Amino acid sequence: MPTTPASQRPAPRPRALRSTGWCLAMALVSLPATADTAAVVQDHILPGFTSFAEATQSLADIQTCEPDSLRPAFHAAWDAWMQVAHISLGPAEKDGRGLAVLFWPDAKGSGWKAQRALLESPPAADAMAQQSVAARGLPALERLLYPTEALPSDPCPLIQATADDLAATADGLAQDWGAFGALMQTAGTAGNDRFLTPDEATQALFTQLATGLEMLADRRIGRPLGSFDKPRPDLAEAHASARSLRNITLSLTALRDLALTLDPDSPKTQSAFDHAIALADAIDPQIDGLADPQTWLKWEILQQAVRTTRETAIAELGPALGVELGFNSQDGD
Amino acid sequence: MQRRTFLATLAAGLAPRLTWAAIGAPAFLAAGKRGEDFFLHGLSASGASLFQIALPGRGHAAAAHPTRAEAVAFARRPGTFALVIDCATGATRHRLTPPEGMQFNGHGAFSRDGTLLMTSEVVAETSEGRIGLWDTANYSRLTDWPSHGTGPHEIKRLADGRLAVANGGIRTDPVDRAKLNIAEMRPNLTLLSEDGALLDQIDLPDLHQNSIRHLALQGDTIAFAMQWEGDPAEPVPQLGLWTPGAAPRLCTPPEAEAFTMQGYAGSIAATPDRVLITSPKGGAVMFFDASGAHVATHHRPDLCGAAASGGAFTVTDGQGAVWLADDNGLVPLADGATQWDNHLVALT
Repeated sequence: MPTTPASQRPAPRPRALRSTGWCLAMALVSLPATADTAAVVQDHILPGFTSFAEATQSLADIQTCEPDSLRPAFHAAWDAWMQVAHISLGPAEKDGRGLAVLFWPDAKGSGWKAQRALLESPPAADAMAQQSVAARGLPALERLLYPTEALPSDPCPLIQATADDLAATADGLAQDWGAFGALMQTAGTAGNDRFLTPDEATQALFTQLATGLEMLADRRIGRPLGSFDKPRPDLAEAHASARSLRNITLSLTALRDLALTLDPDSPKTQSAFDHAIALADAIDPQIDGLADPQTWLKWEILQQAVRTTRETAIAELGPALGVELGFNSQDGD
Repeated sequence: MQRRTFLATLAAGLAPRLTWAAIGAPAFLAAGKRGEDFFLHGLSASGASLFQIALPGRGHAAAAHPTRAEAVAFARRPGTFALVIDCATGATRHRLTPPEGMQFNGHGAFSRDGTLLMTSEVVAETSEGRIGLWDTANYSRLTDWPSHGTGPHEIKRLADGRLAVANGGIRTDPVDRAKLNIAEMRPNLTLLSEDGALLDQIDLPDLHQNSIRHLALQGDTIAFAMQWEGDPAEPVPQLGLWTPGAAPRLCTPPEAEAFTMQGYAGSIAATPDRVLITSPKGGAVMFFDASGAHVATHHRPDLCGAAASGGAFTVTDGQGAVWLADDNGLVPLADGATQWDNHLVALT
């Protein structure tokens, strides 16, 4: 896939001219700032957070602590999260709610340490929000539904409290996206101090795409990949519930949806995503297979394909949307 | 531009070295990019550009002469030159070149009386730190001092003349900036006397991959901002406070915000009762009080430049906006097509 280094890319902000026209046109009919932002908010983000809230509520509504009964709803909730896990701006930033849904990687094992204490004296559901973010959310539920060691006491109260808390967090995210989505769609209008111009909202979504692909390559794939001499499948996300590769595939499809909603006319990006997804589909989902050199190479090729997808999307969508990644955040000093 | 032309005319007819007050008393200096061109701007307290001067490439930070309307603009690392700019006329008065085998490392500071310029430098091959000394009468090179560390970045002169040096600890490739010693890096914060003698030094043995890079002063306390080079999954502080003579204090945000800054602080500024750090990577600013306790976090993509002036904080971002920042939030002061670069320098 051909990619263009930053220095050779077309001049940034060509859209300044275009968006002046947009601004005037839109102001007259008081429509959303730019079509791409509105499409992503309405077709990608809002339905995604609504589905996540519904899936977590369904999980919380199950009145049993039997792991076999809870596991399908647990997987449905994690599946739903993967549709929006990359949307980290706005409501997910507030009070660390993104971390409270998915605290991973947990490099120091702080989640399990905190949960062991909570198993001894389970908090009420509404007190879970005051607990460490590492002890909440999907990985916390996973440790209770797929324990890798004998649990020191009956996990039932903590399972229920954790599931209720997760549903409450998801509901808060969905609710807050109503107002924040409106803020994005009125980017550049008077009084909107969060998005001063229409381009700022587009750039924020474009950045989520690039960051999501980076996180996928560096963490979801990179951490278990380790090195050829020392693969670390034990470090994979959702290792215990055996959904590590599933999360990678779901993340790719969700990010592809984001990219093509931002700009439906992105053939190179679409093809790069399709290629990466095909590579992921061809890998044995047994994450412990990473110890096998042949499998390890497949994972590494997948990681490279995700990085290529990122470069392709930046090179294709950036100029088309008239935005670029952060001037300072990409610099480093 | 009209103003600049006017000032140039004015300057040509008067003594060549005007004061900051004589050119409209800008509150800040900031480097920025507009289209494909780079400029150094003087900004008013309300964020309006009072003058702009073309730079030959992307700037990093500037140092402002304490009285004369004169700024030294440093290129990004590794820097082979710095420009002494007459901010009244826009003319480049001097082009500073470090001695053979040395490179500028992004920041500089003037002595209080303005007769000396100090520059953070490295020996190109080894990244061993030096502080270059320049006579500002004609910007001739006087000498250099050891910085007592590797890869010094920001340097800050204390009110009494002592010099604080953030030795970032990172050895870089002299050509491509590649980091060469991440596993063994050992940053430190060094205090030098007015004559360059080593007075005191601290390091962070448990966080040796937290590069100490940027500095702000809060009375006798040196606030230092860090950039984490270790495992991004580890929550580490980005801010420390050091009052020489005492142990450094690390300032940790609440657990839910442990990763908000993504391990990276880009700039730091301080007033008597607040310290602010910015993270363009995390798209956030954080406020801490003088005891090091977290007070507030505000979000805005690509924020980086930060300065304190008259007890208030101003921050700039790569999208072209200038903001007033306090505990309660960010208030836009100005917005334009110039993308503001890493640092905002207060003229005080």
